Amino acid sequence: MPPSVNDLTPISPSDWTYDFAAHLLERAGFGGTPEEIQVLAKLSPTDAVRRLVYFQNIQNNLPPFDHSGIHDPGLEPFPESRPAVTKMAKEKGEALGIKVKPGGDRPLQPVVDQFFYWLRASVLETQRVGYWWANRMLATKRPLEEKMALFWHGHFAVNEAKVRDYRKTLGQLELFQKYGTDNFRALLLAVARDPAMLSFLDAGVNVKGSPNENFAREIMELFTMGVGNYSEKDIREGARAFTGWNYADLTFVVNKEQHDEASKTFLGQTGNFDGVDVINIILKQPVTARFIAGKIYRYFVRQELDPQVQDKLGAVLRNNDYQFAPLMETIFLSRDFYSSASVGTQIKSPVQLAISTFKKLGLTEVPGVPDFNIATGTLGQRLFSPPTVAGWSEGRSWITPGLLLERGNFVRDVLFPDINFIPPDRANPSADVRVVADKIRAGMDISTATVPERGSEGGLAESNMLADRDEDFNTRYGSFRGWQMALERVKPIPRPTAQVNLSRLVTNAGLKNTTEVADDFIRRFMRVPPAEEKRQALIAFLNKELSTPDVAVARTYMEDSLRLALHLLLSEPEYQLS
Amino acid sequence: MKRREFLEAGLYGLGIGGSGLLLVPPLLAQAAQTLGAEPSNNGRILVVLELSGGNDGLNTVVPYGDDAYYRQRPKIGIRPNRVRKIDEHFGFNPGMAGFERLYKDGKLAVVHGCGYENPSFSHFTSMAYWQTAAPNRGDEFGWVGRTADAVAPQAPANFLVNIDARQSLAVRSRLHTPLVFDDPNKFTREGFYQEREVFAQVADTGNVENPSRRFLLDVARSAKSASAQVKEAWASYKSPVDYGITGLDLPKVAALIHAGFPTRLYYVAYRNNAFDTHVFQGDLHQRLLTYTADAVSAFVTDLERIGRANDVVVMMFSEFGRRVPENTNLGTDHGAANLMFVAGKQVRGGHYGTIPSLTKLDEGDNLVYTTDFRRVYATMISGWLGSGNAATILNGNFEPFKMFV
Repeated sequence: MPPSVNDLTPISPSDWTYDFAAHLLERAGFGGTPEEIQVLAKLSPTDAVRRLVYFQNIQNNLPPFDHSGIHDPGLEPFPESRPAVTKMAKEKGEALGIKVKPGGDRPLQPVVDQFFYWLRASVLETQRVGYWWANRMLATKRPLEEKMALFWHGHFAVNEAKVRDYRKTLGQLELFQKYGTDNFRALLLAVARDPAMLSFLDAGVNVKGSPNENFAREIMELFTMGVGNYSEKDIREGARAFTGWNYADLTFVVNKEQHDEASKTFLGQTGNFDGVDVINIILKQPVTARFIAGKIYRYFVRQELDPQVQDKLGAVLRNNDYQFAPLMETIFLSRDFYSSASVGTQIKSPVQLAISTFKKLGLTEVPGVPDFNIATGTLGQRLFSPPTVAGWSEGRSWITPGLLLERGNFVRDVLFPDINFIPPDRANPSADVRVVADKIRAGMDISTATVPERGSEGGLAESNMLADRDEDFNTRYGSFRGWQMALERVKPIPRPTAQVNLSRLVTNAGLKNTTEVADDFIRRFMRVPPAEEKRQALIAFLNKELSTPDVAVARTYMEDSLRLALHLLLSEPEYQLS
Repeated sequence: MKRREFLEAGLYGLGIGGSGLLLVPPLLAQAAQTLGAEPSNNGRILVVLELSGGNDGLNTVVPYGDDAYYRQRPKIGIRPNRVRKIDEHFGFNPGMAGFERLYKDGKLAVVHGCGYENPSFSHFTSMAYWQTAAPNRGDEFGWVGRTADAVAPQAPANFLVNIDARQSLAVRSRLHTPLVFDDPNKFTREGFYQEREVFAQVADTGNVENPSRRFLLDVARSAKSASAQVKEAWASYKSPVDYGITGLDLPKVAALIHAGFPTRLYYVAYRNNAFDTHVFQGDLHQRLLTYTADAVSAFVTDLERIGRANDVVVMMFSEFGRRVPENTNLGTDHGAANLMFVAGKQVRGGHYGTIPSLTKLDEGDNLVYTTDFRRVYATMISGWLGSGNAATILNGNFEPFKMFV
């Protein structure tokens, strides 16, 4: 009997199959090799699910992030813009730990250089953090821990471009890894008092007498309850409770003199609340558990959510005092999770696509070519760069005609790495910077070297003229010099290509002919097989390229043809389904 | 196209269509055709530019003639000597040389007080209201998508183009598969010579039950038909016009128009909540406006260069304005009523709508809207695109402005 839609009772052991075990690994983690799937398939469904959900005894031994050591004293607190830096330097004779030169040309230039240095260095180091995390996703023996961290990264979405400090975004990720599969109360309190979120939502400027509502609004709208469950007045009152919350470098602080001590009325309760009180009141609302459980369901199961299912899942979360494990166990064991409405209907996120592809190829390391951050960013999901505070939209929003083609191109870049690849964390970052660098090296003075070359019919656009000011400092030069300093200090990302060996995979699996190869590839990589016509085309393609259907004949020369065939297969629309 | 489909398409545009379509005597239909009274196929192009994040309208078109403005914004109010004055009351933000030029050339309409009842202060909710033209309700399909459905129910390929990293709700359509891409150089299937034959095949998938799979197969077909054309259009487009630091994807629109794409509706955005200026907004906001003014004015110039200036207008909006009083972080919080802009050679430049009061604010210190934003949409649908279906598309009658030459 096929498991029925919206039925949250556990699947029975007699219904448990290899394909369901594969489905479980796709959703609770990043997919699996046939060997990994087989291990779960041999367990009972309860044991298989519990192994993924209660993973605390599984040892991982993964290395912590290796910092390049780029943060200098004086950089904190980092001013909000270049004009703010130069203003501060003019007023105080110093900014970012760099003194203004007593005279000469462009006395503020070293300060401006340092400003751009830190912006660029933090961006580059964030790319290294992206690689570190991607490698964890690939290598971890606790896949749910990283999968859930990825979920929270989209939920408590923070963007490095605004926070401008990789240490803060990394610190937030570590909170997701620590509390993300533990308890929502602990997670929410930790995230709300973490410098990354405080910085991202301007909490640091929320002070008594002039509350800034950004933080209070998003906590309720996006992080806990959802629109429609509070009023604009609740936002204003909530913002007052959060007044004084701030951070000093990497530490949470409450500035008592900036905290509004007067009484507030929030969600029907009145008192002299602070931020923790407000969060506790929010956590007491039944709608909060319902909202969070619903969002988790949509992420792990499917986009369409039955209101009664949501009620039940919300109750599971609430009755367990916001512990995640019972909720995850309920979801992953449910018949609904294994019903035809759920299996093979989810569109993989770009990060899921990349990591699961590496996993199924048998890789043990995320390839340096193509660049992981650029590849996933092109597909719409760059780590530490969610588009807005609402995170990624998931589901069909991952796919456009342009992006569907890009997904196939990504597979090609993994199987056939570009021999002309230039590491983006080493190469000149933009044409403008490159031109300035060349001119400075050629001995030009700064003013001449930084004049933009784009002449045009209508003259320069306003924005291009503005960037041209050359007074106490030169912004274009600072941009170039900042890159140069950052490249010097941020460690390079290793650039191995994918160690793919499809011939070995075919030989080890004992496949005898091209039909078996096509079927094995389909089974290994796809949760939804392509149309029969495409399967036939794949077999015909291999026969033609190998000039034989016999694997034994082609054994010594089949690698390139196998890779081409796999590229064709993984470019099919069905490969996007999990 | 089959003859009957052609007639249907034409009649739909006249607003005669609907369920009784086939009962219309063919002669009448033919008459409508020969009279050229088929306004929905006037060939005009609408470009919608979304300014995401909630643009601060009061610091965009500054009411420097109103003392109340400076009372509400003692620190971030832009002084009269800095604004680019266009009359005795208003002036553009100092960064907007491009808009000042467009306005003085009579090519820019400024619509005041645009909003709706019970405004939402959530970016995502309010943006969804604007994108669906369904305030306090929402809709499965976007208003640009519904416009495409009404104007071209036969859903020809590439009628609706959305240039972005993700498809916008605004272009979601019942009948059309919007062409969505970001980087034209990358909008291509990269394959090796040996693979061509297999990539060229379109498999017969039969009846597909899995809705996600069906969706992917539809998108795959759209990608296949359009990618080569877009790449070609982009490769053959070279413009001497400077669009500034960020072109807001308008050069790509110009490239497709230049290449003769059949697209009538384009949707682009200043992306990623850029205009959400809660803190220290002065320099940042001016920069955002400069980039916008540069890109839009360059686009109008570029259209003139390629001889299509009479066929295109750009409509700009944001999901809300910002609160009238400044906050103490030298920024502004989420507000309500806001400005909209329409730019183009065929636009009759000037002010439209009633200017909202800066002293009679709502209880949240916001401008009270004076113009339902759907009036501007109706202006685009009927006045510009010439469709008689504005009321159906917008689920109500909204009086259009007489905005075009």
